[in-house]
Formats: sequence, C-alpha cells, structure tokens
Amino acid sequence: MITMKKGLIKWFSGMTIGALLLTTAGCGGGAAPTANSGSQGGEAAKIGVISYLTGGGAAYGQAIKEGLDLAKEEINAQGKVKVDLIYEDSRGDKTEAINAINKLINKDNVVGIIGPTLSGEMFAAGPIADQAGVPIMGTSTTAEGIPALGNFVFRNALPEFLAVPQAVEKAISTYNLKKVAVMYSNNNDWAVSGYKTIESTLKKNGIEIVATETFADKDTDYSAQLTKIASLKPDAVMVSSLYQEASLVLKKAREIGITVPFVGTNGFNSPELIKIAGPAADGAIVASPWFPGKQDEKVQKFIADYKAKYNNKVPDQFAAQAYDALYIYASALEQAGSTTDRQKLRDSIAAIKGFQGVTGKFAFDEKREPVMSATVLIIKDGQFTELK
Amino acid sequence: MAILLNQYYLQIAVFVMVNAILGVSIYLTLSTGQLSLGNAGFMSIGAYTCAILTVKAGLPVYLAIPLGGLAASFISIIIGFPALRLTGIYLAIATLGFGEVVRVIVLNLKITNGALGISGIPTLGTKIGKILSSFGLSKFGGFSAQQVSTLLVLVILLLVLAFLIFFCIRLNRSRVGRAFAAIKADESAAEAMGINTTYYKLLAFALGALIAGIAGGLSAHLTFFIGPKDFAYHRTVEILLYAVLGGSDLVIGPIVGALILTLLPEVLRSASNYRLMIYGALLVTMMAFRPQGLISEETVRYWKGKLGRGSKQ
Repeated sequence: MITMKKGLIKWFSGMTIGALLLTTAGCGGGAAPTANSGSQGGEAAKIGVISYLTGGGAAYGQAIKEGLDLAKEEINAQGKVKVDLIYEDSRGDKTEAINAINKLINKDNVVGIIGPTLSGEMFAAGPIADQAGVPIMGTSTTAEGIPALGNFVFRNALPEFLAVPQAVEKAISTYNLKKVAVMYSNNNDWAVSGYKTIESTLKKNGIEIVATETFADKDTDYSAQLTKIASLKPDAVMVSSLYQEASLVLKKAREIGITVPFVGTNGFNSPELIKIAGPAADGAIVASPWFPGKQDEKVQKFIADYKAKYNNKVPDQFAAQAYDALYIYASALEQAGSTTDRQKLRDSIAAIKGFQGVTGKFAFDEKREPVMSATVLIIKDGQFTELK
Repeated sequence: MAILLNQYYLQIAVFVMVNAILGVSIYLTLSTGQLSLGNAGFMSIGAYTCAILTVKAGLPVYLAIPLGGLAASFISIIIGFPALRLTGIYLAIATLGFGEVVRVIVLNLKITNGALGISGIPTLGTKIGKILSSFGLSKFGGFSAQQVSTLLVLVILLLVLAFLIFFCIRLNRSRVGRAFAAIKADESAAEAMGINTTYYKLLAFALGALIAGIAGGLSAHLTFFIGPKDFAYHRTVEILLYAVLGGSDLVIGPIVGALILTLLPEVLRSASNYRLMIYGALLVTMMAFRPQGLISEETVRYWKGKLGRGSKQ
C-alpha cells in the first residue's frame, strides 16, 4: 500500500514535469537573449520593458519587442537622445510582472518603463511603478481603468471603450442596422470588457439585441450559438474575442449561411484572422488606430523599414503601438532634458500634445488617457480596407 | 545590508513566504497520504472572499484574511465528505475537478467581476505605510517608507510561517499527528487499530484548505489584483511541485521546495528566453537523481549523525 501511494505520487509528478518541459520547450521564441542590450555612451536613458516574451501570448510580446528595437535604432541614429532598452519577460503572469518591475526600478534604476503586455499584469504592476514614482506606459493594455491606477501610469493603446463604439456606430449608419446579435468570450477579461462596450453602444443607439451568446477561449465548436443566431435573422453580429476564436466563428457562420456583416473588437484586427478564416472573413468590421494601408509617408516608411529588418513581415498593431511608445518616450526625454529624472520625465510625458506617430496624431488628456482617432476597417477580398 | 533591502529582493522574499505557506498547506494533506489537487481552488476561495470583504464590505485586512481561510476550510469540509471516500488517483482527479469548478464559478459570478477580476485591492505594504506615516515617520536612517513597510510585511509573513512550522512539528508529535502518519502508512491497518480514518482525513484536508485560503488572502493583498486566471490548474501543479521537489516527509521539505522554485526563475532572469527551459531541465534532473525530494527523514538523520548529534535522536 505504501509503495503504491508513493509510486502514484512519483508517477504523477513525472507526468507533470514532462508536461511542464513540453510547454516550456514550446516557447522561447527563438530570439537570442537580450537581457542587456549594452549601453552606448554614458548618458543613454535606461528604459525598462516588461513583455510577454515566452508562453502562450509570446507572439504579442515578440511584435512589441520588434517595434521597440526598430524605434531604438532610429532614435539612437538620430542622436537627439540616446535610449537603452532592458527587456524583462513576464510570461503573462502577474507575479512575474511584479518581480520584473521591481527589478527594473530598484536594480536597474530605469528612468521609465514600457509594458506590461496584458491589462491584468498592468493592474498588478502599475501601482508599484506609481508608488516608486517611475513613469510606466502600456502599449497594449486596453482595459478600462488603467491610467486611473496612478499619476505615473500612462498608455498609448487606444482603449476598447473608445475604439469599439466607432466601429459599431459606423456599421449602424452604413448598414442601417435595426437588430443585432452579440457574441463574446466570457472567460477573457479583455473580451468581456469589449462586450460591455458593445452592449452600451447598442443601447445608446436604440438598437435591439436579439441574442447574447457566450463561449470560452479555445472553444472550437460554435454551431449551437450560431444556429440560434441564424434563426433570429439579425442585421449584423457583433463579436468580442481574440482572433483565434473570431476566425472560427466567422468560418462557421458563413458555413451555416449567416451572410450579414460581423463587427468585432480588437481581436478582428489581425492579419491572422484573414489567414485562418479565408474568404469567410470578408465583411468583418473593426476599428483600429493602426492601418497599414494608410496613405501616409510616416506609416509607409515604418512598414518598409520593418519589412527590411524582419524578413518582410508586415508590422501589426502591437508593433506599431510599441514603436510609437518609444518615440513618445524619446520626445519626452528630450523635453525633460535629463535621462535620469523620473519626475521630470513623467511631467513631460503628460504634457505631450500633437505628437505625430504611425498610429496617427496623439496626445494625452488630463486623465492620462490617449487622445487618438481610429480608422474603421472592413475586410474585402482578403484585405483590410477603409470602410467609407 | 542596503543591497539586501532593495525593494526587488524584498518583494521576491515576500513571494517566497507566501509560496512556503502554500507548501505547508499541501504538506498537511499529503501527511495523510492524500493526493489532493484542490489547493489552488481553496486559495482562490480564500483570495476572493478576502478581497471582496476588504474592497466591497470595507472590513479590515487582519479580519478578512482569517475569514477567507475559514471560508475555504468550510467549503473543503462540504466537498471533503464525498471526495475523501476516494483514494489515490481518483481523489486527485476529483479535487482537480473541484479546482476547475471554483474557477468557472468565479468566472461567472457578478460579485467576483467575472473574467475582469478584482483590481485596486489595498496591499498590506501600503496599509502599513499609511500607519507609519500617520505617526509622522517617513524616513528610517536612509531607507524609504516603502522599503520599511515591505520589510514589515515580510516580518509578518515570517511570523505566520514560523507559527505554521511550529504547529506542524507539534502536530506530528500529538495524537492527531500519529493518526495521520498511521493513515499514510496503511489506511486499512489504521482503521483496524481503531482510528477514525474519515475524521482524520477530513481534518487534514480542512487544515490544508484553511492554510491555502489564508495564503490566497495574503497573496490578494500583496498583488493589487486577482483574476480567475491566477488560480488555474498550473497553480495547483506549482504548489504540488514544492512538495515533490522538497520532499513531503517533513514540513521543512515543501518550504525548501517553495524557496527554490520561487527563487529559480528570478536567479535565471539573466538567461532570458532560456530560463524556463533551464528550470524544466533542473526539475527533470532532480527527479531522476532524487525522486523522494530533497529532504527526507533519512537526510535529516544522516546530517544529524554527521554533525555528531545522532545519539540525541
């Protein structure tokens, strides 16, 4: 009996460790270690970056890192200010993010921080930066209430509650919507927050919601929800989820004959959506601050440089916002005239007005929320185009 | 000294303490030979109860944390009656299922704010900092108020942990502890000897849940934010690993396990993207060469003998 129990524990732990190793071996991202990218010159401003570099969301962290690296090279080449980036991985985990932020602030003595990637991590890490008096800026944290964490907490990610209504209202006016169905992933904090915005925008515009269906992240079968929606014949379907689920929803919906437009939250705003859903993605609408097809010199130059540096990869929104974030830091550092004074840096970030980035004109309001406009996009023949 | 009081190191030490407390909780259920994987579930009940009590009901932290523990313990008794009829792998799966159920319930309740989680939880550090500044203290011989309050949090956690270790050592030498050991060695024999196995198994289960709940409450008040993702399956595995790595014979085993497994990812930070691979490889090596865990009763006996105090034992 004793040996049996011990054997069982041993067996279980063996399996667990095996699984752990498998999952960890899957990450890594293949990039060379860049814990300390070396400082150039004495007066380079040290900026810490907390990003989701290994694990399930490493694609986001990788895009952010690529955007930042490109911006760093350009800024250092221009020579007005010198910046040095110190990367820390958070694995998308809040305790890791807390440890990383404490290391950056107290051990590396950074002047400012970019990151973390997820809103949940920011809720845990933001207050620490605020207490220590270090400016922190999220490039992808779109949940409501992030800058309210403290005076030192900023973001240049267009929050869902500003972007989503633009897409919804544009769809209402373009397609003359009367009744719609709503679907969302109910175990994803970010998708739930997007759903709430959709719901309130629809209510404000007096649109009837004929059905609200939920699913969970990583679900693969949506036939039950979509069959129900199809029977109700809505004018449009609004979906709040990440691109993996959104693409499968679109595929299934087209398969069972729902041909109405789909309006999505930021999850729709990914080239991956088109890749996975194929022709089913046509008619999907999303509002995005980042639109690679924009006829703007700055945007086109950024895309060309990015492609040159990273094997012809088209930058996504995460890369673009990270790229802008470092430029915002650089211009604030220039204004502050110091590469070590955290308070001065904070004040000059807060004072940023009329900044022209690849995601458009940019400023912070008095609540440290970004003021920027989004373009409403629709997928047509496998391409994002502006919805006019 | 100034280097050691760096906020970064203090914060890691705080997480080590919380994980060590979780290590004690898994030790207690393992001490009756029960492989329970519900600890993350109990932790989440403790954390959410405690956070809701302080954020929404305005209860003081020192009351909310024990209440969170009691809530977890109460639930553990309810599910313990049917679940503890199972043994071995069946119990493991039942408790694992329980953890998932808790996570899904938390995800769908309004009071827990679903997937968005609860943010803006006042931390112990800021609370202590406020008390200190109300006494007009803001600088302590070159250390900032933040450092001092984190240090005080660390001291409090250390005291909790010390009490738990003391409690476990005393428990082992008591009637209850002997009953636990008997059940672990052979449940049928223990029952034949007149031990009420259901009672003792349930007791160990409830004690483990109480401590996990308290650890959950503490962690909620150390990280500003809790969400359902924090208490998913991988957290259970982490807690179990403390006992597997450190050894589950003695209470000090899971604590050492928690210390190593919390420090390791931080120590390996310089290895950047490879750190989790190194972490996994170390665990595999460890299992290959010391499957019983780092610290077992033989280890203690060996070192006592070596240090010339073997005769006392």
